[in-house]
Amino acid sequence: MIKVRNLSKRFGDSEVLRDVNIDINKGECIAIIGPSGAGKSVFLYCLNALQPHNGGNILINGTDIADKKTDINKVREKMGMVYQNFNLFSHLNVLENIILALVNVKKMPRAAAIEKADKLLEMVSLIDKRESYPDELSGGQKQRIAIVRAIAMDPEIVLLDEPTSALDPTMVGEVLAVIRDLAKQGFTMIIVTHEMNFAREIAHRVLFMDEQGIYESGTPDEIFASPKKPRTIAFIKKLKTFNYNVKSFNFDLIAMCARLELFCDKYNIERKTVNDTNLALEEMITYILHHCYKRLQTPNIDIIVEYGDIDKKIAIEIVHNGKPVNPFENIVFMADGEGSDTEDLGIFMVKKVASDINYKNEDGLSKFRIKI
Amino acid sequence: MDILNKIQGSLYANLIAGKSYLLILSGLKITLLITLAGLFLGTLLGAVFCALSYSNSRILRFVSKSYIVIVRGTPILLLLMLLFYVVLAKTRMDAVYIAVIAFSMNSAAHIAEIMKAALEAVDPGQIMAARTLGFTRFGAFYHVTFPQASGYARPVYQNTVINLIQWTSVVGYITIADLTRVINAIGARTADPFFVIFIAILIYLALAYATYLIFTLTDRKKRALR
Repeated sequence: MIKVRNLSKRFGDSEVLRDVNIDINKGECIAIIGPSGAGKSVFLYCLNALQPHNGGNILINGTDIADKKTDINKVREKMGMVYQNFNLFSHLNVLENIILALVNVKKMPRAAAIEKADKLLEMVSLIDKRESYPDELSGGQKQRIAIVRAIAMDPEIVLLDEPTSALDPTMVGEVLAVIRDLAKQGFTMIIVTHEMNFAREIAHRVLFMDEQGIYESGTPDEIFASPKKPRTIAFIKKLKTFNYNVKSFNFDLIAMCARLELFCDKYNIERKTVNDTNLALEEMITYILHHCYKRLQTPNIDIIVEYGDIDKKIAIEIVHNGKPVNPFENIVFMADGEGSDTEDLGIFMVKKVASDINYKNEDGLSKFRIKI
Repeated sequence: MDILNKIQGSLYANLIAGKSYLLILSGLKITLLITLAGLFLGTLLGAVFCALSYSNSRILRFVSKSYIVIVRGTPILLLLMLLFYVVLAKTRMDAVYIAVIAFSMNSAAHIAEIMKAALEAVDPGQIMAARTLGFTRFGAFYHVTFPQASGYARPVYQNTVINLIQWTSVVGYITIADLTRVINAIGARTADPFFVIFIAILIYLALAYATYLIFTLTDRKKRALR
């Protein structure tokens, strides 16, 4: 159905895609994952010639889309596209959004178009919003309408460009449910997504894009459970860890804590552990910034938080390139359990919440490993 | 009673005596003619200059840009005088036509700029969405870009129309007997210009309000503006 041969795409001097080859069969559901900037979206945009490609061929049902004789509008009619930002027509209400192309491109009689739109609106349970305007809808509703608008044209292929990335977390589910439905109905689909669990669940094939092309591809289990190539392995591993890098004395502590909480939420980690982790991180960073770096130095502190599947414990790894100091060896404990060194109250607190602390200094880097 | 009598006398002298009201009506006709013709041609010409500024040719873009900058920066009265006394002086063209040309040129520059701003305000993502649904370039423009851009342009365009009505009051300089000039003549004749000027102000006010009404009544799809 879709054949891509040696596709390449440049923006000015930077090459985004190089020699991409892939065949996509009818009814297949493909998920594209990968780091941002890997050309995932550009690849989608090339497929329906929203971005002209620089080399190679794209054949949709045997039609070369770059061929001058090809009527690209006819090809696009067969390809629905759903965008990250919905792109609903803001001057039209929901119903008019859906029937605009049916009436004006497909030349369907208005009454038939409305009937069809109503049926689809019922399918996504938004029939009572048919007279509403896009700005009266929530993000999730907008995206469901955008999906309906795309499939109303009876496309053979549906391209979805990060359909849930612009949504509030509470609305991701409703949109994924609709997409799941489409997959069941046998649409050929290509989804660029950051929802890994979703990709794993519905895709027949997962493409990991990196280094200007399809770096690794395989079944969801192959990619998520046992990736083979180093960048895929690193990417999949990163999904399971929280990473943060402190590069300034005035780093954004609140943002870091918020992201850490999001990470913890994913694993249903209990409240007390989350708070302890937050506390340990905050105190450690504060200590390192004040004891290991001079005022004018640029700090470089790497933080990796991992959640162990087996021991159900959080492991914090902190690596910094400042003066090697191990605050934990100097702490003297009084008989009543109070730390003697009041200046290092923070360190004392870290010690209290941690179950295991490890310090190493090698190659000029100090490494802490703290288990909560 | 004395004052009332005075007012009555003054109104009679300025409006009725010598059929002055007919004069005022003919002045109003000229004002409306220049405004409407200037607006119509100005809008067409403005659309042309707006289109030129998106042309692929650098020369055409330059032409459009310089036209807008120069004409917008030139007082309309000087433009009128330039056309009347210099450029079109030998053609013996009716002064009213010259005024129409001048006001078309002037409003074209403003309207081109309004159109450009409105087009740029349209979300490119929606145009892209229209293209992916199979619309041609023109189809996407006609069904998505144009309705949205005209929604954005509407309030500014209305403003331009009202400005245009008032600026036509300077055409008296090139011998045209428009509303303002007629009023001036009547006032000079009766040596009692207060009421007639006051009435002229009311007429201009009515024109502005009528413009506002026309825009509001035709603004069925107000929602598109949001």
